[in-house]
Amino acid sequence: MRVSVDEAALVYRGCIIPEDLHYDVDRDVWVRFEDGSAVLGMTDPAQTRAGRLVAIRFKRAGTVVARGRALATIESGKWVGPFPAPFTCEILETNQTGFERDILLANKDPYGEGWLVRVRPLDRAELTSLVTGEEALRRYRARIDELDVQCFRCAE
Amino acid sequence: MLRVRVVDLGLVSPVRSQSVYHAVGYAFRPGDPPTILLVSTTDPYVSIGFHQDAEREVDLEHCRAAGLPVIRREVGGGAVYLDHNQVFTQWIFPRDALPARLEDRFALYVQPLVETYRSLGIDASWRPVNDVHVRGRKIGGTGAASLGDSEVLVGSLMFDFDHRQMARVLKVASEKMRDKVFQSLDEYVTTMRRELGTVPPRDEVVQRYLDACAAALGAELVPGTLTAQEEELAVQLDERFLSGEWLFQKGGLRQRAIKIHEDVRLVETAVKVPGGLIRVIVRVHRGRIDDLSLSGDFTLLPAVGLAAIEQAVRGLAAHRDELSWRIRDVYQALGMQSPGVTPDDFAGAIAQAVETA
Repeated sequence: MRVSVDEAALVYRGCIIPEDLHYDVDRDVWVRFEDGSAVLGMTDPAQTRAGRLVAIRFKRAGTVVARGRALATIESGKWVGPFPAPFTCEILETNQTGFERDILLANKDPYGEGWLVRVRPLDRAELTSLVTGEEALRRYRARIDELDVQCFRCAE
Repeated sequence: MLRVRVVDLGLVSPVRSQSVYHAVGYAFRPGDPPTILLVSTTDPYVSIGFHQDAEREVDLEHCRAAGLPVIRREVGGGAVYLDHNQVFTQWIFPRDALPARLEDRFALYVQPLVETYRSLGIDASWRPVNDVHVRGRKIGGTGAASLGDSEVLVGSLMFDFDHRQMARVLKVASEKMRDKVFQSLDEYVTTMRRELGTVPPRDEVVQRYLDACAAALGAELVPGTLTAQEEELAVQLDERFLSGEWLFQKGGLRQRAIKIHEDVRLVETAVKVPGGLIRVIVRVHRGRIDDLSLSGDFTLLPAVGLAAIEQAVRGLAAHRDELSWRIRDVYQALGMQSPGVTPDDFAGAIAQAVETA
């Protein structure tokens, strides 16, 4: 098993929450800002709750997606749902090739190889609702308790 | 007390039996009450999972010839043949009215189904995560999705199920595989008709189901109708769901095995070896070989040896060494010869098929 976590991280009930990322806690999406763009993925609690993915369908690069709408749809053995946009954005790149190679990428390495999309944020005001650092860890501790989730990742 | 709107639509068109819960889901706004929809289709059709590739999974030519619509749903899982002998039980709920964990959510959703069957004298139980079983046979599956601001759970009250049509509409590599699908459905799927010897009256079963829902949810159930907005959205979705663009979108869900139920999968594979091609159809029950059918274009003497191998490995898991050892015993006992095909080749082909399932 390999989980890419470069910096300090909270490990709470098996769930890894890296401190250096930004989060939309309610939508369970992590955000890594890089040179004007943002890379997004499912958090550890999100991939645990969904279960082993069996399929994913991305919206095309170039698509503009409003906050809360689907950047991709995800199917696990027990559920279908959106991977929601934490803020209004344009899709620059998807990790389709990665998931075609291994559909379990987000289950194995949610913060690394299992990233879903790279986007360009279109509404700076919406970014203020994201949380990071101590605040993120505090919110996630509460959310993990509320969801009563115990995280696990798929082995290789 | 939680108030739940119940909309019993009776019989509707095939497409509407799918579009209606999507419409209620997409029209849902925070603060709206939870809804339980009850609906059956007037005519048979094939429903496919959201990420399935219609051309790869369904015999579209047969469906066209038989006048069976094929309709993609925004819920996962596989292709299924549906007709008026099921009542679909569709829950469209606010997120906070359901347990956060999917396992708990299914447990809640399945409970009234199980209790309805039990009240009819059928020994049903929940097979986690999302099956209902009667002594090892499935009596309907369930699915979950997030649609707009709502959480959706779908399933059915299984009055009867046409195994032959179900096996007929799937796209399979061989007719032998189709026979195996039919046999497996017959062996591992059940219905109210099968369990009771008769089909109970719809209204009586629905009333039992609603009583069980009220008890499970601790809710007051209030009969209602669709809103104008939901109706309008359903009409729009009917059109979308019937469009070629919607049906033929590429999936990405590659199901190499046909899931009969949670514990039973059927798979067909072919492996090339120096002496020819080994075709394997295997049914796996809880990881073990439950039924096996070998064929191919190799030479094997005596011919009865193939059936002996099929018999010898039943009950085994996908351990190549153990499979090889058993098959070698059969070779020795029958003095078998198969130029270019070794016992290890059979073991490898069978193990690969079992692993795929």
